[in-house]
Amino acid sequence: MTSEVGSPAGGRLVGRPLPRREDARVLGGHSEFLDDLHPAGLAHLAFVRSPYAHARVLSVTPPRGAPGLLAVLTARELEGRTRPLPIQSPEGSEVADEPHPLLAAGEVRYVGQPVAAVVAESRALAEDAAELVGVEYEELDPVADPHASDLELLRWRRTAGDVEGAFRSAARVAGGRYAMPRLVAAPMEARGALAYHDPAADLLTVWCSAQDTHRPLRHLGHVLGRPAEQLRVVVPDVGGAFGSKGSLAPEAAVAAIAAIDVGRPVKWAEDRAENFVAAYQGRGMEAEVELALAADGRMLAVRARILADLGAYLLPATAMPPHTAAMLMAGCYTIPAADVRVSGVRTNKVPTGPYRGAGRPEAAYFLERAVDDAARALALDPVELRRRNLIREFPHRSPLGWTYDSGDYRRCLDLALDLAGPRRAHSDEGLVGRGVAMYVERAGGSFEAARATLEPDGRVIVRSSTSPHGQGHDMTFAQIAAERLHVDPGDVVLEFGDSALVPGGTGTFASRSVAMGGSAVARAVDELGKQCVQTAARLLDAPEDEITWGEEGLAAGDGRTLALPDVAAAGPLEATARFESDLVFGSGAYAAEVEIERATGRLTVRRLTAVDDAGTIVNPLLAEGQVLGGAVQGLGECLAEEATYDDQAQPTSASFADYSLLTAAEIPPIAAEFVESPSPLNPLGAKGIGEAGAIGTPAAVANAVSDALGGRHVDPPFTEEKLWRAIGE
Amino acid sequence: MRIAVEVNGERYEREVEPRTLLSDFIRHDLELTGTKVGCEHGVCGACTVQLDGEPVRSCLMLAVQAGGRSLRTIEGLAEDGEHPLQRAFHERHALQCGFCTAGFLMSLEPFVREKPEPSEAQIREALAGNLCRCTGYRGMVEAVGQAAKELGGG
Repeated sequence: MTSEVGSPAGGRLVGRPLPRREDARVLGGHSEFLDDLHPAGLAHLAFVRSPYAHARVLSVTPPRGAPGLLAVLTARELEGRTRPLPIQSPEGSEVADEPHPLLAAGEVRYVGQPVAAVVAESRALAEDAAELVGVEYEELDPVADPHASDLELLRWRRTAGDVEGAFRSAARVAGGRYAMPRLVAAPMEARGALAYHDPAADLLTVWCSAQDTHRPLRHLGHVLGRPAEQLRVVVPDVGGAFGSKGSLAPEAAVAAIAAIDVGRPVKWAEDRAENFVAAYQGRGMEAEVELALAADGRMLAVRARILADLGAYLLPATAMPPHTAAMLMAGCYTIPAADVRVSGVRTNKVPTGPYRGAGRPEAAYFLERAVDDAARALALDPVELRRRNLIREFPHRSPLGWTYDSGDYRRCLDLALDLAGPRRAHSDEGLVGRGVAMYVERAGGSFEAARATLEPDGRVIVRSSTSPHGQGHDMTFAQIAAERLHVDPGDVVLEFGDSALVPGGTGTFASRSVAMGGSAVARAVDELGKQCVQTAARLLDAPEDEITWGEEGLAAGDGRTLALPDVAAAGPLEATARFESDLVFGSGAYAAEVEIERATGRLTVRRLTAVDDAGTIVNPLLAEGQVLGGAVQGLGECLAEEATYDDQAQPTSASFADYSLLTAAEIPPIAAEFVESPSPLNPLGAKGIGEAGAIGTPAAVANAVSDALGGRHVDPPFTEEKLWRAIGE
Repeated sequence: MRIAVEVNGERYEREVEPRTLLSDFIRHDLELTGTKVGCEHGVCGACTVQLDGEPVRSCLMLAVQAGGRSLRTIEGLAEDGEHPLQRAFHERHALQCGFCTAGFLMSLEPFVREKPEPSEAQIREALAGNLCRCTGYRGMVEAVGQAAKELGGG
């Protein structure tokens, strides 16, 4: 259904790899991130955080005074004025009523939990004063290991088809237990918020390093009990998020209260040490997976039990990734029956939440490892086993209940194998392995909105509900709008990130910006274009169907033209569109070649191949950037990243020295290509690309590692020690 | 303490606390917020500026240590309009969120000036002192090669 994309006079813009127009400001050093904002009268916030993973808080005593000290907030000051953050409950799940308190009252449940907040004249003075806050704790036993937890915060189960019958009649049952460690999203800019309360208007404005405006707006409204009209959220430049800036940080709500109390702008700019202990983490899931297989390799049923280490509380989206993982456990295959359970348990660690992929990488890893183990059990080539089970017709309803809208899984697989090249053999020094993994992911869904306005000077301003944090919405949406309006992209101005200016939406997450936000832009400018034609027809006294777009503006059949400023002068032209759709399902095939040094266990990823089907690609340069960035995060997960805790649940990887991100010197060649099977669910035919690389990569590398090890299973990160031991087994 | 520094060719005199980091001094006292602070423990390189022409991590130095010396920040990178590195970063899509970008540019400027034909391995090594969480670095590798070529021997 891509027919709505016309062929404008100005030529096609969708599909062109145009460099971003948003770069110049950033490259010149003129970006404005949260901590670059310094309004007059600014005060600064620092937090007193729990040093214990589990303790009773017996007392909190503010200092009598300290240089530059303006206020100290504890749970007592918030009592009766705030509610904890809301909890999202995925469909069909039972979630505990264990929300995250803004400041700890009576008990702390993880290292880094905010206990008190100190407002002072500078960040340094706030930190000084925070050290003078006396907190008396009584230590309690912490739970570090999710297996040792006796408290479920999330429960979910879905069964479909005759699972028991399938397992009874199966020729083989194969699978295993697979685990993905907790990870830190680690955007280069940590979190932060700056709040100012205007008492005359009773308007609370919060600048927030966030993925979008309307989730923080909703969360603030809930926490503070303020109507939306008395709240404004502004999202400045955002230095990466990867899911970790989706839900409002409890600290941001505290900054808002502090701003009301001291009557000045108050800023909390999180530092890296805080980000490592207090920003929600990702993954932290393991699964026992069993596949029931016929002798010819047909997959008859899948059974999976997912255990998620949710941490100490349920943040708004903590329950979402395990649910997404569970719902994708039939993968790209025509499995008729499924029984999937999720148990999300409490541990004394910072809560988990969405991190790039948010359940999709886990599902791909769990299932694709099981498929490789099944292939080995059946003595079948793992690619052949996949081929025999790939979904070939769409829409396809998965036994778990989601309907995959579109895809061409076989083509993705074929292309990935072509690009991956021939297999190599082991050498004297190294064990060589090849791994292939498929994935399907949910993207889009819910709604987004856009408003397009024709300005008096003939430019078009488009205000979008989704907002960028590095992806390139400005260029991408300008391509969509300019193509449809037949104007130069330079005449389209995009505005984002201010709840007072942009229409409400769902948010920038789940690889949904182009499919949902882009489609809303498309609908809004289509409507504006229609208004322009109607107006021109009236002004030129010509029939509407004779009006055409040209370089001069709009033209009547007889050649008389009307420039856009003339059209604009005839009345305010503006169109708002809300675009809503079911989920769309991107997919892909990844291949990895690895070599493990026999003597040391050192893993080298020699080559990574990424083939993604995100439907129509608006800007291949930026889409490839998303794939590469995601793939390198996935590689980091394989090679190095793991948020570790000791047996007292003390974090032991809380700096970039201990939690290492990959550098440019550690990246293998990555071949990335797209397959474009358009989604029928939106006017662009778009699906999602933001998370693709992070989804396909770990599963493919893990399969390659297992292949190199002759079928032995090791969970990421694939450290030298783990692999050296596995070689010795 | 009172210190005098030259930044991007301009002389500044300021009273600073001895404990003030150079990064905070640049950002807060001089209001040159193009320099970003990513980790405050010297690993990520986002805060890299040039001190007497050499890249340094401004989060690992005190402002008073820069007294009497010359600094160059992202605001002073382009002498006229646009530095070839900035242009190449744009053309090769070498930035996404842009938080790390200033640090990369200030680290790389001497490299592209001094190495007219760097190999890919040399470029990757030159990039490896800084962290980027968005791009996967490929665009940067290409951009550095392009800028080095353009500046070749110049």
